[in-house]
Amino acid sequence: MWTLPRTRDEKEIAVNIGGVRLVLCGDILNRYPDSRLAELVNCPTRSFDVISSLCDDYDPGKREFYFDRDPDSFKCIVEVYYFGEIHMKRGICPICFIKEMEFWKIDLSYLDECCKSNLTEKEEELAEIADKVKLILDDLDCDPNVSRTERWQKFLWKFMEKPESSLPARVIAVVSFLFILVSSVVMCLGTIPDLQVEDSEGNRVEHPSLDAIETACIGWFTVEYVLRLASSPNKVRFALSFMNMIDFLAILPFYVVLVLTYLGTAMMELANVQQAVQALRIMRIARIFKLARHSSGLQTLTYALKRSFKELGLLLMYMGVGIFVFSALGYTMEQSHPETLFRSIPQSFWWAIITMTTVGYGDIYPKTTLGRCNAAISFLCGVIAIALPIHPIINNFVIYYNKQKVLETAAKHELELMDSSPHRTEREPVKKKSLT
Amino acid sequence: MPWGKVGSRSTASLPPEPVDIIRSMSCYRRVKLNVGGLPHEVLWRTLDRLPRTRLGKLRDCKTHESLVDICDDYNLEDNEYFFDRHPGAFTSILNFYRTGKLHMMEEMCALSFSQELDYWGVDEIYLESCCQARYHQKKEQMNEELKREADTLKVREGEEFDNTCCSEKRKKLWDLLEKPGSSVAAKILAIISILFIVLSTIALSLNTLPELQDTDEFGQTTDNPQLAHVEAVCIAWFTMEYLLRFLSSPNKWKFFKGPLNVIDLLAILPYYVTIFLTASNKSVLQFQNVRRVVQIFRIMRILRILKLARHSTGLQSLGFTLRRSYNELGLLILFLAMGIMIFSSLVFFAEKDEDDTKFKSIPASFWWATITMTTVGYGDIYPKTLLGKIVGGLCCIAGVLVIALPIPIIVNNFSEFYKEQKRQEKAVKRREALERAKRNGSIVSMNVREAFSRGAELLDVVVMEKGERTQDNHLSPSRWKWSSKRAASETSSNRSFNPDQGSPSKARASSPQRLNAQKLEEMYNHMAKTQSQPNLNTKDRGSSRAGHRRDEIELGALPGQGGDPLIGGREGVVDMKSLSSIDSYISCATDFQENPRFPYSPAGGLSLPESSRFSHSPGSGLSSRVSANPSLQTTLEHETMLTPPCSGAKPLNSEGSCLSGGPLSDSSILSDHSILSPEVSVYTTASSRTPPKTPERKALTPAVFTFHDASISKYIDADTDDEEHLREGGPSERLLGGLSSKPRLSGYQGATNHLEAAQRLLGQNCLFPLGSSPSVGHENHVASENSRRPKGDRGHSNAFDKGL
Repeated sequence: MWTLPRTRDEKEIAVNIGGVRLVLCGDILNRYPDSRLAELVNCPTRSFDVISSLCDDYDPGKREFYFDRDPDSFKCIVEVYYFGEIHMKRGICPICFIKEMEFWKIDLSYLDECCKSNLTEKEEELAEIADKVKLILDDLDCDPNVSRTERWQKFLWKFMEKPESSLPARVIAVVSFLFILVSSVVMCLGTIPDLQVEDSEGNRVEHPSLDAIETACIGWFTVEYVLRLASSPNKVRFALSFMNMIDFLAILPFYVVLVLTYLGTAMMELANVQQAVQALRIMRIARIFKLARHSSGLQTLTYALKRSFKELGLLLMYMGVGIFVFSALGYTMEQSHPETLFRSIPQSFWWAIITMTTVGYGDIYPKTTLGRCNAAISFLCGVIAIALPIHPIINNFVIYYNKQKVLETAAKHELELMDSSPHRTEREPVKKKSLT
Repeated sequence: MPWGKVGSRSTASLPPEPVDIIRSMSCYRRVKLNVGGLPHEVLWRTLDRLPRTRLGKLRDCKTHESLVDICDDYNLEDNEYFFDRHPGAFTSILNFYRTGKLHMMEEMCALSFSQELDYWGVDEIYLESCCQARYHQKKEQMNEELKREADTLKVREGEEFDNTCCSEKRKKLWDLLEKPGSSVAAKILAIISILFIVLSTIALSLNTLPELQDTDEFGQTTDNPQLAHVEAVCIAWFTMEYLLRFLSSPNKWKFFKGPLNVIDLLAILPYYVTIFLTASNKSVLQFQNVRRVVQIFRIMRILRILKLARHSTGLQSLGFTLRRSYNELGLLILFLAMGIMIFSSLVFFAEKDEDDTKFKSIPASFWWATITMTTVGYGDIYPKTLLGKIVGGLCCIAGVLVIALPIPIIVNNFSEFYKEQKRQEKAVKRREALERAKRNGSIVSMNVREAFSRGAELLDVVVMEKGERTQDNHLSPSRWKWSSKRAASETSSNRSFNPDQGSPSKARASSPQRLNAQKLEEMYNHMAKTQSQPNLNTKDRGSSRAGHRRDEIELGALPGQGGDPLIGGREGVVDMKSLSSIDSYISCATDFQENPRFPYSPAGGLSLPESSRFSHSPGSGLSSRVSANPSLQTTLEHETMLTPPCSGAKPLNSEGSCLSGGPLSDSSILSDHSILSPEVSVYTTASSRTPPKTPERKALTPAVFTFHDASISKYIDADTDDEEHLREGGPSERLLGGLSSKPRLSGYQGATNHLEAAQRLLGQNCLFPLGSSPSVGHENHVASENSRRPKGDRGHSNAFDKGL
């Protein structure tokens, strides 16, 4: 009876983790022989070197090993010996926790799934912040050992792409914004019949002064695009990026029209040319999307829509089903009326859309009682069909919108930290060095 | 047993020699840090990583003074250093030393964490990015809230009527017109005003009915004469109201600028302008432009409906929300504008070849796009071609989407503000209730500190090099930390954060590395004029001013000092302590130690060799509770003050038990308490409105309310509850006595605070003969010990066991 405790005594070790004392059983620790504590238990010689390589301090009197680590994290980590899995306590930073696990030489796979998702979430967030910081830093740093043309290119890039980098760059951005507005307004005004003039063949064409403004705007857009392209470090990526595609589409129609009017007549008939020109004029609308470059809100919108592709599909599907059902119902119910406005099912599609979205123009409306009941139901279903899938889309938008704000502050802080660290090291020279 | 030794060190025996300290530091590789009862052990090496922080400096301390300067207490034999701070925050901060990563506990309040960071000398910039965003957001939000609250306070209570004649009457008039909640008459007046507004808008609408209109000599339609009379009466009322308001307003220019008053003015002006124009230009009225101008002014009359905003917080919060979310509103309009642009041009190209189409141009189809995107759908224009109908369908769906997206953000802003508004209304109600109670002479509450803290938050605080700390302000950290710490560790729960949150700026103000005392004094003086005054006006006796108060304090302090230090022996010790407590009390009340007006500032106290020991621990300990709350008139306190006997006995006993090495039974505690209680109640029942006879009482009085005072008005609701609890709890606990009240007491800090205060009293007066260990008998009033015990007992008993 007396020998038993003694053998156990040898197998038991007392550890002191940052002031929290624990007595751990060696058998249990040996379940994970690679871990630091198991190594400590198994270490055959109690020589100072071996022990000090494993722990921070050793108290021979109390036979207590001291570790200068976070006791809270250890309490979670030690669970692996008993339960085989680790749950992170709330409030502990996952990144730090992983460091602790590495210190105790516990494999990351023991971390439970629920906590792992937490970890990945945090890692993603950090990666995003790091990206943002890198982006900002890229703007800030200037390598002295680049060639003159490269430096010039970089300067131009910053000038055209980063409105917040300098005052002239901001002016450029504002001017560009104004040009977009002006060209959009001109595009709209050009269609007003009062402002149009008749050309020699009796066709109504745009007023020459509006045409001149249009040309000027296109000129500006072209210059802007070319400068951006010239200064971009990676031409292919630049040409393929979404924003620049829009830019390109905004200027393309003008030149195509120009080419067509001068060369097209020689190749094909006049009517065809005019039709092509008309079609291309629609593409001018693309310039409105150029505004997205100047508004983070629009970018957020596009991002949210991109993220909620599924929900958008759901919305369209609901609407599609509803339109089919209710237009068919409406059509059959209205057949009894002699002067019905529902002449065919495809025609009543239009009525169904207008009713389900609660717009209700009144060009087509049911006249029989049954048809009116159907209209009421279709309106209710339309409201629900729109409201249900729209919620996740809104959620995505709000989340991304808020995240954008948070990211901005975080990136700013990161920069602040980098900025201030040179000054700070004077005051606390040991700090960063010893910690890193 | 460690604390017993510490206790003896700081009272009876001399402070340890520097040699001992150095030896102790060099012979251990590790150091035990006891933060708020939670023991930590860390390598000296780790602490050396950040030599400029508080813990880093601990290593460099060679003398007793410098050690006491940095930590609250220490025990060389056990190599243990005690800090009376929030243990939860310290865990994260200590991990910063270990891992180099500073994280904030998720459940931690950002403000209290920043306060902790200040105390430990760690810059908040080292906070990791993941926590940084949350931290800053919270902090900004908090600051904004504080600012807004300060503003509303200023608006509500910043009115001074002392500058000109008949200020009394004007104040009455102002209350009558501006504060419908102040009296029945005011409420009736407000209702009449609302009725007039409604009446006038109805008259305005009826006026345009063709059946009710008359025709004048030019064949133009004019107002119905009866309705014109109604209009005139309404306008007369509005004018009178506006003029009376203007006359009674304390600050004319501010009144003129106020948005609500601008609306009032705009509601009245058109009428007079119309009268003026018609009267002077009767002959030229047929001229088109004059008539048009008159028409415009008639339309402006509709602005009077906005006058309702004065009577509805809902309307006000709507206005505020729109102002605050202009970003999102801009987004909404931008989305809509872009959608309209795109869909109108698409539909134009789709429909333009149709015969007799209504989509004649892109601007003409703007109307269609707007009506479709907002799903109004009048039906005056609608697409007829297939392509046009497809575009129309897409336009409907896009419109629904685009409008729905930014609205939740705006809604969020609105609901936040609305909640805030409601909370403030509640706070005002509570304040009024307090005032009423005060008028009845039953309550005191002191808000000097609250006001001060708010002011300090708003003022730019001068950052000082940590090294430049002077002897004088070295007390301050310990002073303020006592209150927050104690309270925090008492309940080791969420509510324990309240005091920390409550006095963030105060904490910052008094934290050594941030401010020097002089600066503080200037600040305070400034604030006493601007900020705290409104608070004082309402919260305290109604008219008492900071200056007033300070004088009172001085009065109280001087007699106490005159007599006490002369007494020798054990009483001398007691008096010393009380003296220092007075000093620190004074200085806390005003929050500066260097105030030249106080001849016996703690600096002076420190210079006395005998008292220096006490001023470190007991004095500072007391003062913390005391800090900044000099309100001397109480009834509520009187009631609550009676509780200490019962609760005070407990911690004291546990202290005694730790000294003797074994826990005392509950019965012994009870008996102790029963013996003691009369003594204490003598103290506590004495009126504190008069200049105090004993400094202790004076010091104690404010202590009771530290908690309330510390909690920012954000917690005002909770606050009120607590106060009520206190009020109820005070007497009942007195009746209950003894241990039964203990769990309840520990629930809220207000009670526990004076619990400890009482304990101190007991220690000084009659308890030490009862102390279970004779060797400690005359030392058991050591503040550090007293104050630490209860915390260890209640909050962290397990930790405490280990320590023992």
